[in-house]
Amino acid sequence: MLGVALAIGLISGQVPIALLLAVLACVAWQFSKLLRFDYWLRHRSRSGPPALGGAWDDVVAQVLRIHRRKRYHKERFVTLARELRDATAALPDGVVLLDARGGITWFNRMAQQLLGLRGRQDVGVRIDNLLRRPEFGAYLAGGDHSRPLLLRTGEATEAWLSLHVLPYGEGQRLLLLRDVTRETRIETMRKDFVANASHELRSPLTVITGYLETIADDIALDPALAPPLAEMRRQAERMAAIIGDLLVLSRLEAKEEQVDGRPIDVAAMLAQLRNEVLARPQHPAEVSLMVDPNDRLLGDELEIHSAFANLVDNAAKYTPASGRIALRWWVDRDGGHCSVTDTGPGIPAAAIPRLTERFYRVDAGRSRATGGSGLGLAIVKHVLQRHGATLEIASVEDRGSTFTCHFPAHRVVAAAGNG
Amino acid sequence: MIETMESSARSQHISSRFDEDLESVRARLLRMGGLVEEQLRRSLAALADADRALAGDVVRHDGEVNRMEVEIDGECLRILATRAPAAVDLRLIVAIIKAITDLERIGDEARKIAHIALRLAALEHPVDRYRELRHLGRLVERMVHEALDAFARLDVEAALQVPQDDLQVDEEYESIQRQCMTFMMEDPRQVRRMLDVTWAARALERVGDHAKNIAEYVVYMVHGQDIRHTRLEEIEARLRSRSGGERP
Repeated sequence: MLGVALAIGLISGQVPIALLLAVLACVAWQFSKLLRFDYWLRHRSRSGPPALGGAWDDVVAQVLRIHRRKRYHKERFVTLARELRDATAALPDGVVLLDARGGITWFNRMAQQLLGLRGRQDVGVRIDNLLRRPEFGAYLAGGDHSRPLLLRTGEATEAWLSLHVLPYGEGQRLLLLRDVTRETRIETMRKDFVANASHELRSPLTVITGYLETIADDIALDPALAPPLAEMRRQAERMAAIIGDLLVLSRLEAKEEQVDGRPIDVAAMLAQLRNEVLARPQHPAEVSLMVDPNDRLLGDELEIHSAFANLVDNAAKYTPASGRIALRWWVDRDGGHCSVTDTGPGIPAAAIPRLTERFYRVDAGRSRATGGSGLGLAIVKHVLQRHGATLEIASVEDRGSTFTCHFPAHRVVAAAGNG
Repeated sequence: MIETMESSARSQHISSRFDEDLESVRARLLRMGGLVEEQLRRSLAALADADRALAGDVVRHDGEVNRMEVEIDGECLRILATRAPAAVDLRLIVAIIKAITDLERIGDEARKIAHIALRLAALEHPVDRYRELRHLGRLVERMVHEALDAFARLDVEAALQVPQDDLQVDEEYESIQRQCMTFMMEDPRQVRRMLDVTWAARALERVGDHAKNIAEYVVYMVHGQDIRHTRLEEIEARLRSRSGGERP
């Protein structure tokens, strides 16, 4: 093209003007291609790629490639997102997604059913505007979401809903809903059964014990029958103890909330328990006492007494006459602590986590011989739970064990006056 | 040019904070509604189960409802004074100011029912656990729930359903009254108990009226139509003509 312009210029004698016109034409031509390229980019979906020739074709091909890759990824993400939502929709649990201010962004069919949500109409509405139960509002606003919230719902028939808030992303939350009516009912039935069964067993047992006592006191009794009768009385007493403990446990379970309680003089309580141990016909040689006499524990005195008595009783039973028991009560920054240490046979490490289960035996022979009910530590655990306290068990086999109760600081107060 | 952009950004910022204020005061109204619903539910449970502890609990919590009313009222006045809202925003604030009064009254009725439950718990508990009152209670509870749901969703159709339910509540109330009168004539020793049952039914009937009011504020808020003291058919006709026959 430039050659043609040069020739024309030489012929007409106007070389610079001819060259300038040629360059201008060139630029205009390229510019028109640029416009066509731009038009195609804007309306890509309506027309195929333009044939522009030269380097332009490479650019067009490159754009097409990028575009295709982008569309492929987009489709993949859309499919993936749809599959995820379909999968969540099929979950047997209700799922509600919430944004940072608690507005509903999405929910599945089960959640719609459980909460009585409408369709799309409810997207964007704050969940606490629809689920207005004060317990839920406090739970949603509160910081502790480690455990689900149980709500009683249903008008005529009783229904229970478990709600669990799980934070994710930046301030978003996932609300997991489950209908736990059946589980709650079974749990209630179990508790009621244990309470009723123990209660019903007690009356016949009282009759049996009564007759055994009368017969044993009978002078005309054949002396050969004395040992079996004594054994029967011992077993009847043990059965009464088990039933008594079962009743205590079911009473503790029925009262779910934590106790407020009054100040308890733990030092005096431990001193009394120590005297009771020393009054036994067979007792460990040494029972030491180390207490803070000026600190009081806030709690239910009867319950705390039964927990400490169980721990001391265990220690006394498993410690030989040559052994030692140490009772301690002290207060520090973390709260109040009460420990019972013995020099008994100790507990195998594998058994420690299961120790507070009902009727759990470290080995079948040992505790039956000592006549425990198998419920003592379960009672201790329940009492401590109701006081917000924990039980720590440390033990070395053949050396002894230490049971420590840790009470939170808010349960400890100084004695009024000089104690 | 730059200046106007900046000022429009600022006004947008202000209006979004304004929206937040409105949103938060509405959420507080609904939280108060939740508390009132709970009070009503618990007072009815105390009545049905002769649960004195629960009844005492309801009486103690009434102060909380009143406190919330005062708080929300103050917040609404602050918004009116500082933001001077217009049109739909103004109607929202007005509706909230009216609704909290009704909610507070529902709370008062719940407290009354709890007092009655305390008195009735001292008497022998009937085998049917006051079936008629429980039935009326459920109807009324549902009305309050639906009125508040309509408030949360700005759902006019659901709100219009509430006055319909009120007709049924009135019928139930009258039938309880008649029944109580019959019992009183049959056995004068029952007069005390029956008077209390009548009072409880009366309280529930009042709760239904307040729920109806709240539902009417929803219609006012969304359409700017005052439908109080208007017959139901007329309301529907009016709303239908407004929406230009779009609705079937």
